[in-house]
Amino acid sequence: MASLVNGVFYQLGSAKQSISEHSRKWCAVLLVLVAFTLALVATLVGLALRSYKGFGVVVVSGTFVTAGTVFLARVIASLWQKAKTLVRQGPIPFALLCGIAAIVAMLPISLVINRSEGLAMWSVIAGGGLVLSGMILLLIDGYPVFKQYKSPGYMVLGGVMIVLALVYMTWIAYWIVPYDPFEIEMGHPNTPPCAEFPMGTTSLGQDMLSRVIAGGATMLQVAVLSVIVCFCIGVPIGLLASYRGGAVDKVVSLVMDSIFAFPGLVLAIAIAAMLGPGVVNMAISIAVVYVPSYFRVVRSQVLTIRELAYVEAAIIMGARDRDILLRYVLPNVLPSSVVVMSINFADAILTAAGLTFVGLGLPVDIADWGWDLTYGFDVITLGYWWVPTFPGIMVVLLALGFTLTGEGLNEILTPKLQE
Amino acid sequence: MKDILRVEDLIVDYVTRRGVARAVDRVSLTVGENRTLGLAGESGCGKSTLGRAIMRLVPYPGKIVDGRVFLDLDEDIPYENGVLKKGEVEITALDEEALRAVRGKEIAYIFQDPMTSLNPMLRIGDHFVQILQAHNPEMEKDEALERGKEVLESLGILPERIGDYPHQFSGGMRQRVMIGLSLVMRPRLLIADEPTTSLDVIVEAQILEEMAQLKEKFNLTMILITHNLGVLAQTADDIAVMYTGRICEVATTETLFEDPQHPYTQALLESVPDVTKPDKKLSWIPGAPPDLVEPLPGCMFHPRCPKAMDICKKKVPKLVQSNNGGVVACHLYGGA
Repeated sequence: MASLVNGVFYQLGSAKQSISEHSRKWCAVLLVLVAFTLALVATLVGLALRSYKGFGVVVVSGTFVTAGTVFLARVIASLWQKAKTLVRQGPIPFALLCGIAAIVAMLPISLVINRSEGLAMWSVIAGGGLVLSGMILLLIDGYPVFKQYKSPGYMVLGGVMIVLALVYMTWIAYWIVPYDPFEIEMGHPNTPPCAEFPMGTTSLGQDMLSRVIAGGATMLQVAVLSVIVCFCIGVPIGLLASYRGGAVDKVVSLVMDSIFAFPGLVLAIAIAAMLGPGVVNMAISIAVVYVPSYFRVVRSQVLTIRELAYVEAAIIMGARDRDILLRYVLPNVLPSSVVVMSINFADAILTAAGLTFVGLGLPVDIADWGWDLTYGFDVITLGYWWVPTFPGIMVVLLALGFTLTGEGLNEILTPKLQE
Repeated sequence: MKDILRVEDLIVDYVTRRGVARAVDRVSLTVGENRTLGLAGESGCGKSTLGRAIMRLVPYPGKIVDGRVFLDLDEDIPYENGVLKKGEVEITALDEEALRAVRGKEIAYIFQDPMTSLNPMLRIGDHFVQILQAHNPEMEKDEALERGKEVLESLGILPERIGDYPHQFSGGMRQRVMIGLSLVMRPRLLIADEPTTSLDVIVEAQILEEMAQLKEKFNLTMILITHNLGVLAQTADDIAVMYTGRICEVATTETLFEDPQHPYTQALLESVPDVTKPDKKLSWIPGAPPDLVEPLPGCMFHPRCPKAMDICKKKVPKLVQSNNGGVVACHLYGGA
């Protein structure tokens, strides 16, 4: 395995081949990665046949029916002229409408099948179905768009597919896990992978497979929430403070620098301890830690850009300050902030894992990749390699998805890099 | 002849850590309607600063210390806080909003380096939309794009290319786009700060030719800032020669080249290579311009001047009428 991975990177790293050869290999590796993720998710979903809830097959097939309806409607809409006139906005809204109709039609069915939790199950089917439909529409309609951008386009597409696949899995996790991921003593503690527990068990006897399937929820929520909060605070502050300069800029920079100088995890722990445990509180404490990195990047960019000739040209042509900020400075700052964002996703995931580890995140029994990964580091010396490995792969895949998206978007959003 | 621009005793200082450098020292000049004034002088003589100061855009840490700039308006200009009346307005007394209305609308400016003066994130068309909407917020985007296409076409750029990004254009094309952008508001005065310096000679000739045509077409008055006397000989009606922030000599182009009065102008013209005399050794002006933070008393050119007299070291010469119809600031011709 290790030599195979090394081989892949060796092939990637050698620059002896021609550029087209090189990029073809690169594309192949990207394709392999995306296919690997999709296959992994498909396998995990396939294990739903053994779901302890008993409704795994129903949920999975429900989402597949929704996605299938959307796919069919999309194909019909592009072939059948009448459907085009039916919905003026084009084939995509038509396909989505058909999908929603299918979801609504499934409501009574799911209420009949599952008498106790029918509504909850139906909402999961609806959400999962929509995520799957999104993936299909992205493949059908997004591919031609992203294709124009060549490799950055493929990167975005691949990254989004990876992230969406993991979102889909997490969304329906509760219904497809073979064992209750929170329950301890499901099997012998530290059982290596076997037929009954395909990914082994933790030292508390929890089923690793169930925890891997269900463990993404906290990560995704915390990462997405904290990055959005960070972005929405850091970028505007950086823009406004540094464009005008002066006293405001000095004060804001000082505050940001002092946050920056603080060890990130310690600060996050302090804030999380103040706010108490919970997903939102975790997200806020992580956001505070990472605001300065946006601020710094935006500030340095603004300081460069506002001295550039085209900003001066805009002033000379009589442009308003507002227009200069929004049309001249902001678009030139965005690509680098998007890159910071994609790096931040990975950082946020790891910080969230750290918070969970010291008990400030979520209760320890909750399924969370971060927790299993952190805990798994301690037991790996005892030979229990399966505890950190599987959550680790998932974290890497999630971070990879976000990074691919971010890097690709960076190149697409900067017209000059398209050359 | 009507004067479009009148500059009176303009002083611009750069406050540096070492002291105050006077980049523009008591400069007065006028530009007549439809004339092209060339501002010539070596690097650092304050010609660009003067051009900027006319628009009140002196880069930090520069400051307009004294003097007034007047611009003639041929129509009322409404802006957010009122209306600028037709006739002469004092630019140095305008508030920010009024200044914004004048910039781009009445005075346009073209930079030296076209490679960096277009926003790489905006399509060419968006540049036109930006400037047109900045002065006329009600204008529709489509109308602005149409105006942009017309201007591009008159500059020999295919109108379809309005959707392209700046990096898809060559240097000469970009400078044409910049010229188009500055002309789309139909300004009265165009200040071109070394517009062709970063271009090769063939493109330079084309652009200068086009600018001359556009000047006719749009009824423009121009200030052309350059150190290239050849460019001025070709395009300017009048030439003002600057040295260390002061005007040495102003004359019509023909007179200046035929009969230069100021020793600095004479030396400057001597140092232009002449293709008709290949054997002639190129002469240069010995020495270097003085440090502006520690200005010399009297005429600043006296250490390098072959005709320097005692009075030159003591007294700053005033601009006086010279015998060839221009004005000159030199003790050889009086002015004490």
